[in-house]
Amino acid sequence: MSNRAPVYILNQSAKREQGKNAQAANIKAARAVSDIVRTTLGPKSMLKMLLDPMGGIVLTNDGNAILREIDVAHPAAKSMIELARAQDEEVGDGTTSVIILAGEILTAVEGFLEREIHPTVIVSAYFKALEEIVRLTETLGEPIDVKNDADLFKIVSSCIGTKFSSKWGSLIVDLAVKAVKTVYKKDGEHVEIDVKRYAKVEKIPGGLLEDCVVLDGVMFNKDVTHPGMRRIIKNPRVVLLDCPLEYKKGESMTNMEFTKEEDFKKALAMEEDEVRKCCEDILRVKPDVVITEKGVSDIAQHYLLKFGNCSVIRRARKTDNNRIARVTGATIVNRPEELQESDVGTKCGLFEVRKIGDDYFSFMVECEDPTACSIILRGASKDVLNEIERNLHDALGVARNVMLNPKLIPGGGAVEMELSCRLLEFAQNIEGAQQWPFKALASALEVIPRTLAQNCGADVVRVLTELRAKHAVAGEGLHFGIDGNSGKIADMRESNVWDPLAVKQQTFKTAIESACMLLRIDDIVSGIKKQRKEAAGTRFANDEEDTFGDQRDG
Amino acid sequence: MSQVSILGNREQGQDVRSANIMAVQSLSNIVKSSLGPQGLDKMLVDDIGDVTITNDGATILKQLEVQHPAAKVLVELSQIQDREVGDGTTSVVILAAELLKRANELVKNKIHPTSIMSGYRLALRESVKFIQQQLSLSTEQIGTEALINAAKTSMSSKLLGAESDFYADIVVNAMQRVKQVNSLGEVKCPIKAVHILKTHGKSSKESTLVDGYAIEAGRSAQGMPTVVEDAKIACIDFNLNKFRLQMGVQVLVQDPENLEKIRQREMDVTRERVNKIIDAGANVILCSKGIDDFALKYFVERSCIAIRRVKKADLRRIANCTGAKIVVSLADFEGDEKFEPSFLGLATKVYEKRVGDWDYTFIEGMKETRAQTIILRGANDYFLDEIERSIHDSLCVIKRVLESNLLVAGGGAVEVALSIYLDDFARTLGSREQLAIAEFSEALLVIPKTLALNAAKDATDLIAKMRVFHNAAQKADDEQKKELKHSGLDLINGKIRNNLKAGVLEPAMSKIKSLKFATEAAITILRIDDMIRLAPKEEEAPRRV
Repeated sequence: MSNRAPVYILNQSAKREQGKNAQAANIKAARAVSDIVRTTLGPKSMLKMLLDPMGGIVLTNDGNAILREIDVAHPAAKSMIELARAQDEEVGDGTTSVIILAGEILTAVEGFLEREIHPTVIVSAYFKALEEIVRLTETLGEPIDVKNDADLFKIVSSCIGTKFSSKWGSLIVDLAVKAVKTVYKKDGEHVEIDVKRYAKVEKIPGGLLEDCVVLDGVMFNKDVTHPGMRRIIKNPRVVLLDCPLEYKKGESMTNMEFTKEEDFKKALAMEEDEVRKCCEDILRVKPDVVITEKGVSDIAQHYLLKFGNCSVIRRARKTDNNRIARVTGATIVNRPEELQESDVGTKCGLFEVRKIGDDYFSFMVECEDPTACSIILRGASKDVLNEIERNLHDALGVARNVMLNPKLIPGGGAVEMELSCRLLEFAQNIEGAQQWPFKALASALEVIPRTLAQNCGADVVRVLTELRAKHAVAGEGLHFGIDGNSGKIADMRESNVWDPLAVKQQTFKTAIESACMLLRIDDIVSGIKKQRKEAAGTRFANDEEDTFGDQRDG
Repeated sequence: MSQVSILGNREQGQDVRSANIMAVQSLSNIVKSSLGPQGLDKMLVDDIGDVTITNDGATILKQLEVQHPAAKVLVELSQIQDREVGDGTTSVVILAAELLKRANELVKNKIHPTSIMSGYRLALRESVKFIQQQLSLSTEQIGTEALINAAKTSMSSKLLGAESDFYADIVVNAMQRVKQVNSLGEVKCPIKAVHILKTHGKSSKESTLVDGYAIEAGRSAQGMPTVVEDAKIACIDFNLNKFRLQMGVQVLVQDPENLEKIRQREMDVTRERVNKIIDAGANVILCSKGIDDFALKYFVERSCIAIRRVKKADLRRIANCTGAKIVVSLADFEGDEKFEPSFLGLATKVYEKRVGDWDYTFIEGMKETRAQTIILRGANDYFLDEIERSIHDSLCVIKRVLESNLLVAGGGAVEVALSIYLDDFARTLGSREQLAIAEFSEALLVIPKTLALNAAKDATDLIAKMRVFHNAAQKADDEQKKELKHSGLDLINGKIRNNLKAGVLEPAMSKIKSLKFATEAAITILRIDDMIRLAPKEEEAPRRV
């Protein structure tokens, strides 16, 4: 067989890495990603400046935001970046720590792989450790009273402490706490905090940072359509529509053929009448403000202004309209002739159009117990605003998690060190080869306090040893962590550094699970082409295409 | 010598056989390391950069762009195994490759392929008989633990291996709840009744089993209620948009006033339809098409949940489970439109819940059959995809067990037992098939060997010990020794144990089918003695545009 051409099984462009090489490459890639964000952990963290291909700048120290912009080629690195996203979506904070932790956990394994410990042994040890971590953190968590503003404030401020906007003190914290309290809605057992939908962040460049506020109502970037309309209305009656206030042709194909001149006039008059009827229907409920998601024709504006003295706003966004509905108590109506008194919103205290910078903004504020809000951010430049928005997003995440699961654990690396010590003790009882990776994971947890110490320029070895000593006995030194500013050991209760339990647990879970996944890989095949659609074995071929029957009236 | 000319390459005889077998061999080498509880995963990256991380043989082979025609046969083989059985896709490929390798050796020793083929067929028949008569046990004999253990065995090789206790519970519960007995007394467990939803975030331990069906869509308007008890579900497959006439239909209007009437009528038609549906008693409306914003208002007013753009597959399943009828059109024979209350499906509760960053709608307590939903959580999407594949495999395994009720011990026990049996059987035959059957018996050992190798254990030593045990079991008369027929590998400690007691179980169906498929595939490739690869047709003269 030696004198024949080689048999090609795979596409020649496909590249393969196998066995140890693949594992080493994965670990290297993961570490590279974690090195990128390493310096952004803790209160002495630095920002990253990222230039995207379009020439835009992103200034941030948010792990997720940094990694999102980075274009990586290695598949393992991609998987790491996904982690940050998952963390961000689930809890909103702790994106940097999750990456650093995952990187460190993988690095810790390197030695074992060289010593020929089977990856599956390591993986099962890690899963065991994760279980123990979850159990321990559960016992370490201290419940707080979310009704108590001071407590809530404390915890959100410790999260924001590491961010750019911490320089403005409690400002962002105030915003976050207030916003979350606003959208908090309890429906029997079911607690709903939908920050994404009902707390809208509006960024307006210019002005001072101190001007940022959470409105007791909503604000949107629109002006009244006609200069003659009132711009300030006290206790307005609000009507929300999602239909156009202009003549609109029907859906069916209609042609008009005129034979007489009068008919043409009549047709034109009809169109006008149609709009007028619409307006009359609206005016029947005596609104002061009419907001629609669609267009408003000149003639409709004229009617509404002349006969009803209404202020009209057109082309509001659907999401804005939903929020307005929530703060004013109005129902969004589609057909003006179906308007009822109950559809009118009256809970708003003040409607006002203000000019900020170059733009006009409509405010609907002073609402009776609003369940939606707008958060207005002001600041010198767009970049600063973007970063503050990201900080606020994190803070909102933290506040939300605390409200949903009101348990705190000490921050500043205290928990990690405590877990590390407890896991090391636990490891003594584990039989067999699993003990080693278990211990390694315990030591890997120290990466968080270590990085904190590194970033503030402390004497890493000394501080860490001291901290480890404090945690040596279970329960005694629980609250000791690293003060990220001074690099000294401090009682986290005194310096008020707390993390929500949900965020921390999520960090451990995500980091360990993803590390396990990467560890189990012993073969990387890249460069394969996407299979053509009608490959023989597709399991659910054509599942979506078929229909139930003929659809003649669709 | 005159030759018929062929456009392209032609390979013949031993050359093509060797080439084919080499291709198959190298394919099996690729998946080999993913077999068994100590097997590892593969990371596959396509040219766009999408990553797949998997341990499932069928998925690996599907993603690899296999070019060699013989190797393609093997890829199809694993797909068939995946479709028919769902599990054991890796072992079937390894077994087929091993059978071929040994067959090739025989051919080199001047044994005609047809005798090998008939030997293989004979061996297969004997093996199937032996499994059915000797090795398999019904679930009643083993007890209730059997199901859980079978699920655990199928998961042990996967990413979820470490948490197999947790997931085995979910999978078994899910399958048992959807189990039905049809009129013929057969047990049916439709896999599709178990719906798998993936949401990243939280940890894999927070995956849950929901007794009901969930769809990945929230209600269409925020004003709708989030919970509806005693739901009456209408499944609709037409647009609730403004009514419009079909393309090409023109309306000629004499009087301009009528134009306005058409416009009004368009809206009214939809409103009437909505009202008919609601008046029939519906309070949950699932629509596979769009619902116009203005129509939503009517639903909001009557506090119904309406969901638009529900996936067709979801709609069909919900209709089946709740006893609803999918309504394609409201028209009846009289030319009127109406919505019968009998079209409605029943469920005790429909509610919307946020999972991670998404809104899902759950339907619980459906009237006709029970559907189950497994919500998977985990670190990231790659992780979830892999869990989904593993869960699917386990579901298939449980389905097989519930339907056929027969189990065998895993961990190489069956293969070794068969090997011993076939060895003896071969010696009773005087024909050429003897050699083929002997090779078949040897080839079966590749599975326990690979298992041991992947676990970094001494394969030769372990296999030898296992053969002793099984030989003793088959020769023995007393009951105690016969129990040795369940001896299999303990890959953690590198010992031999009774895998029946240790709870390593596989459905007998899966074993039998994978033997059948592997043998058939091997025979298919073995029959080839000539390969003609036609040269691509020359481009014709460029066409006029």
